[in-house]
Amino acid sequence: MAITDTHTDAPVLPDAHEPGFWDGRLRSYIPGKTLALPENLALHDSTAADVDPVTHEVVRYALLAANFEHSALLQRLCVSPITMLTRDFQTSVLTEVGDLVFLGPNLQYFSNSHSLSIKYILEKRAASIGVNPGDMFLSNDPYVGAPHQPDTALLSPVFIGDELFCWVANTLHYSDVGGSTAGSFCLDAIDTFQEPLSWPPVKLIDGGRIRDDVFELFGRQSRLPGAVEMDMRAAIAGNEATRSKVLALAERYGADTVKAVMRNTMDAAEALFVERLASIPDGTWSQRGYAESAVPGDDAVYTYQINISKQGDRLIVDNHGTDPQAGSINVTYAAFSGAVLAAITQSMTSDLSGAYGGVYRRIEFRPEPGLLNCAEYPAAVSPSGATTTETQLHLAVCVVAKMLSCGDDAARELVIGPCIPHWYCTICGGVDEEGTPWIFPNTNGMMGALGGMPERDGVDAGGHFWIPEGLANNVEDIEAQFPLVILYRKLLDAGADGAGRHRGGLGFVEGAITSGSGASQVALALGDSFAKGVGPFGSNPGTVAPFLVKHGTDVLERLAAGEIPGRVADFPGELRPVEAKVAPFAVGDGDVWEFVFPTAGGFGDPLRREPDAVRADVEERLLDVATAERVYAVLLRDGAVDAAATEDARRAARAARLGGREPGDEVTAPAGAQRVGELLYVVDGRWWCNGADLGAVTANYKDETLVREVRAREIAPEFAVPDYAHEMADRMVFREYLCPVTGYRIDTELSRADQAPLRDIVLAT
Amino acid sequence: MPDTNIYYVGVDIGGTFTDCVAVDDGGRVLHAKTPSTHSTTPVDGVLVGLDLLAAEAGVSTGELLAQADRLSHGTTIGTNLVVERKGAKVGLLATQGHHDALLMMRGAGRTAGIAIDQVYSVHRTAKPVPIVPRGRTVQISERVTANGDTLAPMDDEAAREAVRGLLARGDVEAIAIALMWSFRNPAHERRLRDIVEEEAPGMFVSVSHETSPRQGEYERTVATVLNSYVGPASSRYLDELASAVGERGLARAPFIMQANGGVVPVAVAQARPLTTIGSGPAGGLAGTAFIAAASGHSHVIATDMGGTSFEVGLVVDGAPLLSGEEVLDQYTFQMPHLDLRSIACGGGSIAHVDPHSGGLRVGPESAGSHPGPACYGTGTEPTVTDADVVLGLIDPDMFLGGRMRLDRDAAVRAVQRVAEPLGLSVEEAAAGIVQVNSFSAATLIRQQTIEQGLDPRDFVLYAFGGAGPVHAFAFAGELGVGEVVIPLGNGASTLSAYGIAASDVVRTFEQECRVRAPFDPAALAAVVAEVEARALDALEAAGFDRERVVLERTALMRYAEQFLQELPLELPRGELGEAEAQDLARRFDAEYARLYGEGARAVFHAVEVFAIRVTARVELGFAPQLGQDGAGPGGELTSDRQRDVFWPGEGRWVATAIHDGAAITDGATIAGPAIVELPHTAVAVPAGHRLRGDRVGNLILTLARS
Repeated sequence: MAITDTHTDAPVLPDAHEPGFWDGRLRSYIPGKTLALPENLALHDSTAADVDPVTHEVVRYALLAANFEHSALLQRLCVSPITMLTRDFQTSVLTEVGDLVFLGPNLQYFSNSHSLSIKYILEKRAASIGVNPGDMFLSNDPYVGAPHQPDTALLSPVFIGDELFCWVANTLHYSDVGGSTAGSFCLDAIDTFQEPLSWPPVKLIDGGRIRDDVFELFGRQSRLPGAVEMDMRAAIAGNEATRSKVLALAERYGADTVKAVMRNTMDAAEALFVERLASIPDGTWSQRGYAESAVPGDDAVYTYQINISKQGDRLIVDNHGTDPQAGSINVTYAAFSGAVLAAITQSMTSDLSGAYGGVYRRIEFRPEPGLLNCAEYPAAVSPSGATTTETQLHLAVCVVAKMLSCGDDAARELVIGPCIPHWYCTICGGVDEEGTPWIFPNTNGMMGALGGMPERDGVDAGGHFWIPEGLANNVEDIEAQFPLVILYRKLLDAGADGAGRHRGGLGFVEGAITSGSGASQVALALGDSFAKGVGPFGSNPGTVAPFLVKHGTDVLERLAAGEIPGRVADFPGELRPVEAKVAPFAVGDGDVWEFVFPTAGGFGDPLRREPDAVRADVEERLLDVATAERVYAVLLRDGAVDAAATEDARRAARAARLGGREPGDEVTAPAGAQRVGELLYVVDGRWWCNGADLGAVTANYKDETLVREVRAREIAPEFAVPDYAHEMADRMVFREYLCPVTGYRIDTELSRADQAPLRDIVLAT
Repeated sequence: MPDTNIYYVGVDIGGTFTDCVAVDDGGRVLHAKTPSTHSTTPVDGVLVGLDLLAAEAGVSTGELLAQADRLSHGTTIGTNLVVERKGAKVGLLATQGHHDALLMMRGAGRTAGIAIDQVYSVHRTAKPVPIVPRGRTVQISERVTANGDTLAPMDDEAAREAVRGLLARGDVEAIAIALMWSFRNPAHERRLRDIVEEEAPGMFVSVSHETSPRQGEYERTVATVLNSYVGPASSRYLDELASAVGERGLARAPFIMQANGGVVPVAVAQARPLTTIGSGPAGGLAGTAFIAAASGHSHVIATDMGGTSFEVGLVVDGAPLLSGEEVLDQYTFQMPHLDLRSIACGGGSIAHVDPHSGGLRVGPESAGSHPGPACYGTGTEPTVTDADVVLGLIDPDMFLGGRMRLDRDAAVRAVQRVAEPLGLSVEEAAAGIVQVNSFSAATLIRQQTIEQGLDPRDFVLYAFGGAGPVHAFAFAGELGVGEVVIPLGNGASTLSAYGIAASDVVRTFEQECRVRAPFDPAALAAVVAEVEARALDALEAAGFDRERVVLERTALMRYAEQFLQELPLELPRGELGEAEAQDLARRFDAEYARLYGEGARAVFHAVEVFAIRVTARVELGFAPQLGQDGAGPGGELTSDRQRDVFWPGEGRWVATAIHDGAAITDGATIAGPAIVELPHTAVAVPAGHRLRGDRVGNLILTLARS
């Protein structure tokens, strides 16, 4: 299944496809530059010429506030905890042709989702069933605009007179929309026919009247029809309220003025983005990442790749190097492009507070269909909200970081740390003592962890860049609802995982047992055989996150004796072999399980970390003294850094990397050298690192570095995994690309063992 | 001056000024405003303020205090300790395995309490500096479960060793004890406290089941830790204050203001300093409620625009609204407090031009009081106050009653910085700054009313704070409100101190429960009885007769598992029977539908009462005859003083009458355009608007019908 990648030649930009190729049926829908619209659809596209700066600001603020209020209303009204706590929803205001004006402060990879669905409606519905005042369309079709099926959009055109003025829209993650698995993450789906039904845009509200037939049909497919219908009513109310606000604004200031402000807001965003691209040289940057098991029982490792090319004042994104679609580990164009846009805007223009539409104008996608991250129908995509979409976010934010790190200081400062490559979670369920069924989708991954950044460490339990306000459950709130006891939930220790010049933010581990006499099962769990999160420019990968289960332990006896377990590993008991994607299994008295939400990747070589930052982590008891020495070669004496001993230890560590050769000192780059990442420069068309020549810039510098390679589970003791995971883990290697002078890492790479070093930075010459 | 005067004294220490108010039983209100003295001890500023009050009353400070029925005091010391991280070194004792809850902050620590348009940014958000570093957190081996059962017993000797280990660090100044499910079964917390008291007698200790007995270990731990964090310093300060005013003649120990809108005796405040955090702004809302009652206003939107922020609170049916969740420096906790929402929008808000859109933005950055607006002479950025000076809304020579002279040229230069790139005149730019700022303020008011299912037309808008009365015409006009009250006119800038002086003793007690509809009246009654007994015992212990304590009961309700919802509904006094229980379910239904629309009601989800809140009140008596000594001249007033004002709505310079606020007594009216100068602020009255005095001493701005 997996293809071997020996892709070391300069990537050639893929061609754009003909209009109509991306049809929304076999392939994902991608609108062309101009939309095919019926002539009888009147668009409002006139703008007032001179809007004074005060009116401009008042109207802009009012539109922004209307969208924020739309979000706040949904959050209050929805009953789905996924909406309420994890903020897995989004609202937006868009132009008459569906270009984004404002995106809410919620799930950021819904970035262009509404835009895609609206453009599809305009092209495929306007001429047939019509787009009319008072209408609302519903869609959850991943081949049109939805990231996965639970993410159902409600899209509302706003008319002024008989002219289509703009759109307001929301997407909620509905608790259950059907499919083979409760909660609609169907890991075992081999194609989309085991999944929830994908609804291309249908009219839910026709001229202000709700269509009961459609409403009931949508509720009918859900295991939780009451909650779904309640949330749908919230979605309708949210669109109605926002539409009224836009109309009131147009009434007061004039439709042309409001439209002028929309256009100008987009133009301003575009101008800002172009300005921030300016210092970055033209080139192409790439990142690879991995998934294990396309469906439960599959033992292959799959590759995803995202490439971003900068050409002057725009970016071109593609997915070449990705494996063909397989099992349930796919996404369509909507999630792929949504994740890439989120990574770009959150890195480069988050100060626009969601006014991102103008930025999108400068980003073109040229994906290849039929691959894991731009799948063709009928590939399964429903679990992607916990798996593949997060992988795309991780890859995309790493690619953007590499690109920005070739620019000036202002560009480099825009880098945000790598995020977590999966949404590690569990879904437990069962029947309680009174016979009542329960299901608990564990969304505590909201705790998150931010990766290391050029100017600061990642943030421990720092949430996620792509979902700013997500909130994990209190343990007490979980235990109040479900027959579970969360025995521990604590930060991971700082160690080799996530180590870097700036370390990754720490993740956490959570262990649980059942309580009461009901029957319980673990219905969904994600575990790693090898670490999947990485960090740029020499960092270690983030934590390997196995899902561990032990049956038949003496946990209850130990508790009764007053002993609280530290980790699952501390118990005697039978370790259940749990692979990356598992079928549901029962748990009961004496069983303990834990999942790890990993520490994020860091930034830069751990041996270049400020010794005082290492000392501070020890003082905070996040890191112990022995690990500080082993990972960072920092020696402490009486709580203070022993500078001389540290210098010696670091030199010795670098010498070991160089095979025993005495390392040289860092050399200042010549004037005019162009910096690439941390240690690498381009000087006169050649790669340069501390005086060493690493070949022509037209080739892969990695070929000229010193390379060390180890098995992924042997990077450090922190990366060890249970025996049952060795086979899978050993498909992966970790490579260090070392400066031949200093022994510092220029970069590291987690790679399938059969893959050649990725040429991930290609600069135009 | 008759000897029989009784004074009610209120003191409010703010970041910049200490405000003092004395109300005598004849209704006369005396004010003093003096710089706060945080750098030495805040008590110094209080004493200066009391001297100023006494001077105004024509008595000595000793006489004033001797004749005081009471002195009530609001302090920002707790907030300052937290924000400046100058609190005690707290040691935290937490359940093993859950000791990181405080550090992990539910993953939301980076964005909690951050303005909504700022949360997108990873670059500009960070977690706060930890209140308790991990090294001072000790794990206690014990575990209680959701129903209060002991899953793992606590070994007292092991716990004692853990406490000794913590104390052996030598740097622990206070202790917080927060164990899992302690509000269901406090046995371990109690034993642990005993151990701490044995090992460290006199140490300040907070236990979570007392400080914040609410479900949710993160927020409960935050409350407990903050209580200990501010405890020792607050306690020392209150002792110092109490002895200073006692030595000068105050007979009764001072009362201390809390965020819930009531005061407590010093000893209670010392044990529960957490409740005093945020008490200053609460004083403003309490004062509003008191004046509203005297003025016959049952529904009020109270707005306070100061130098850096704009705060909005509501009075509904005569009572200020309470809220549970509070965020302080990105730490979220549960504590009943008057519900005040705030945005960064005030006199110090900085104007700038968005370089790409060419729009005129105001805030959220603020010049604060340092460096302050350009016209203060130390700043250079154009602020809202600079715009006011440019427009002539504020007289640079009469700022703070003439005690601070503003530099108009500096204001013009600063505003010029935004005017030029916009191609506007400096006056037009200044008018734009005021309009944009007012639009932000109006948006917050709208979000607190219309967005919460309330119609602002049912409310009277009160405007106070240094920058409130100047801009009220603009933000009230934006909302379509017809009338604005500047409460107590001259007293509008010391309203918090007034509210503090007027407040009764109030304490709130809460208990979690889980009573689901159809409600079992016996189950509800049992929880209510338990909380009420606790409330009466506590008030008695604080020195009040049980008979004087008035109890109010509130059920906190939501749909089951709607953990972000908290809908408070009052419970009737007396016995809770079947009829009351059914009525409660009906009222929840109606209130939910009113707030969120008929369509939002869930027919499938169970309604639950998840906590009972009991508010215990002891009336302290505050019965001054509000109003002025005799009617003033009445009728339409004119003024000889004039200056040109550039009115934002008109876009031109208009000769405008300048009035002295003190002259506008009951029945007197003035017609706009006019500026009414008050000691610490000014009321702007545009053309077509009118201002009149009322019998309570308020100034009422009537907006032109547009």
